[in-house]
Amino acid sequence: MTRVLARLSGVVRRFGSVEALAGADLEVLEGEVHAVLGENGAGKTTLLGILGGILRPNEGTVEIDGTPVTLSSPGDAWARGVGLVHQHFMLVPALSVLENLALGRRSTPGRLSRTHAHVRSDASRLMERTGLDVPLDVRVESLSVGQKQRVEILRALLRDPRILVLDEPTAALAPAEVASLFALLRDLAAEGRAVVLVAHKIDEVLAVADRVTVLRRGRTTLTELRASVDATSLVRAIVGGEAADRVSVWSPGQATAPRRARGQEVAALVDARARDASGRVGVDGVSLAVGRGEILGIAGVDGNGQRELALLLAGRLTPDTGSARIPDGVGFIPQDRTLEGLIGEFDLTENVALALHADARFGGRSLLRWRDIRTEADRVRVRFGIVAPGIDTRGGALSGGNQQRLVVGRELLVATDLLVAENPTRGLDVSATAFVHGELRQVTDAVTGPGVVLISSDLDEVLALSDRVLVLSRGRVHEIAEGVRTREGVGALMLGGADAVA
Amino acid sequence: MSEADLVLFLEASVRLGVPLALAAMGEAITERSGVINIGLEGSLIAGALGGALAALAFGSAEAGVLGGAAAGVLAALVFAAFAVGLGTDQIITGTAVTLGGLGFTGAVYQARFGATGTALTLPTLAPLPIPGLADIPWLGSALFAQAPTAYLAYLLAPALWYFLFRTEWGLELRAVGENPDAAQAAGVRVRRVRVLATLFGGALAGIAGAHLALAHAGTFAENMSAGRGFIAIAVVALGRWNPPLVLLAALLFGAASALQFLLQAVGVDLPYQLFLAFPYLLTLAALAGWLGRTRAPAALALPWPRRG
Repeated sequence: MTRVLARLSGVVRRFGSVEALAGADLEVLEGEVHAVLGENGAGKTTLLGILGGILRPNEGTVEIDGTPVTLSSPGDAWARGVGLVHQHFMLVPALSVLENLALGRRSTPGRLSRTHAHVRSDASRLMERTGLDVPLDVRVESLSVGQKQRVEILRALLRDPRILVLDEPTAALAPAEVASLFALLRDLAAEGRAVVLVAHKIDEVLAVADRVTVLRRGRTTLTELRASVDATSLVRAIVGGEAADRVSVWSPGQATAPRRARGQEVAALVDARARDASGRVGVDGVSLAVGRGEILGIAGVDGNGQRELALLLAGRLTPDTGSARIPDGVGFIPQDRTLEGLIGEFDLTENVALALHADARFGGRSLLRWRDIRTEADRVRVRFGIVAPGIDTRGGALSGGNQQRLVVGRELLVATDLLVAENPTRGLDVSATAFVHGELRQVTDAVTGPGVVLISSDLDEVLALSDRVLVLSRGRVHEIAEGVRTREGVGALMLGGADAVA
Repeated sequence: MSEADLVLFLEASVRLGVPLALAAMGEAITERSGVINIGLEGSLIAGALGGALAALAFGSAEAGVLGGAAAGVLAALVFAAFAVGLGTDQIITGTAVTLGGLGFTGAVYQARFGATGTALTLPTLAPLPIPGLADIPWLGSALFAQAPTAYLAYLLAPALWYFLFRTEWGLELRAVGENPDAAQAAGVRVRRVRVLATLFGGALAGIAGAHLALAHAGTFAENMSAGRGFIAIAVVALGRWNPPLVLLAALLFGAASALQFLLQAVGVDLPYQLFLAFPYLLTLAALAGWLGRTRAPAALALPWPRRG
């Protein structure tokens, strides 16, 4: 008989008037990998936050080891063996890896003592056992996304949790890194721990989980053993019966062929070099050209110059050396919609105006024609199916998927020549992802349409959408010939650079 | 310029630098927790009055130092209650505490001592030469024949460095100042850390104020803090939020003020105010990142928890 380590029942959690959880249940068993699925706004992160002691439920109960508990802080949760790895990394960038690992690990007697030494030895031992390898003495800000995640997982494991909770751990990882993370999670479960993870990609869930729980609109709609579900039944539970037919199920590793010859060249980089904000070389001699009516996919692990390449192509950065030819009508979908894509305190109209403010049709750089902008904003709202009461709704009040619809719709307005999309579906649910993909394909349907550059760390996305694929690795691009456009071929190139592909 | 002039100049540099050093090292700890206490001037003037009152009441300058610390903590508590407790804007709150502190101390002084015209005479914090060290030529008398508060500053510099960079409390404090969400997720009580760091800064500013009243002036005067709280905030930036460097930066600012005595003594008729501006130029250079890579704590002046 497998023991129940944690049980959340009938959990309700409100934020103001919004009900994020409306009676959700979750049961966590010893020795299992338990995946939690659901659309953006379904309440996954809220549910995990309650299990991790960050949020308190308004109604419902939390039991650990059969005893009802009140978890009023992350410290409480840890004391009961629950370790949470956050979706947005909870690391202090200016501190070293070791200091981040030591943070909050209070040495019981004499808190004014040096603690780094024993944390160092504990961490080294743990890294050896799990194969999670990170340099301990560098600042966290200089690590790649994958390395930061390893630090997060190490930090949670250092406290020896019985329940390890991970919120979207695979979002920024290369396929090989995902595989080794999953192997680690299986090992941890085999030790008798429970692993709870939130994931978006159904194929990943099917690959790693023992059991699956699906949330929809704050309620648990399904909890099943892995063996008794498949991709279709999961999609149905996630998006609800009526919408399921409209969503195509992801088919991993399937590459498309170019639709036709690309159109007239609209943008080009010639031997461009650019540094990142901290002065390190980000883009290291890249030459490429983008034609009208094509999707140029750029695959690669985050931190290999993706940010600088996106900024160069969007005209937000000028190259240190080399040249960039960028057209006027550029749309830019930045990867972090809450930080860069929109301003939470601005309403829909103002957020649309952000992209249009320099456009002569709306007043150029002098007085803005607010009436025209309002009309345009309402057109964006209707055309892109943004769920909001009206154009006076604050951007920050929208769900993640609707925020992205707003950003994509707005940028398509200005992208008459070129659209640069940086991880445009990161953190989006199945239907919002399908929407973004559909828009990118549609806008490039005609050879006169804008060129699209899709920079993404999601290899499946790049392979499925792109007419051409480049891999960006250590600041340089490598073209992928059509014959080797497979998941394995490109994946090896992403991790190892040019030498990895024979 | 004679050797005696130079020795006097060094002595005056340290004497003028010590109150800045105390206030700035305290503020460095406060700022490392993500709180910028613009109300430091309020703690300073409260410390001067509290120091004067306690020294009078107990007839001892040492009791005055303790009274100054207590008064400084009180002013910082007002700031912390609003800025940390209620998450009000730190700049505006700090300005209010400074203006309130200056007004309140003036009112108490008027009420207690009236406008009698006779200067208040206080027990003074006399220089305490350290046997042996004070006899070192040149620097000996400058560094080691000072009021006891100077020695407190010397001791605090390495002690606070050790605290910040070698202890668990220091780590938690820095984490709170860099990324309070991450600190909270790691189990640190963010508000508590910020309040304690602010009160500590208030205590040191209060001691600095008491030093002004008891070691420099031997009396209390309205507005006698004369902007030193704001100067201390500049000193923190020049000292890169690192206590030993903050001490050195404070002594540099002290030297700039002391230059007026030296220039008078040697008969140069350049306006000494020009030299007062010099450390501020250095501070701007430090803030611009021309003097090294250290940045201000990432969460400095940001209320926590953030409002969404």
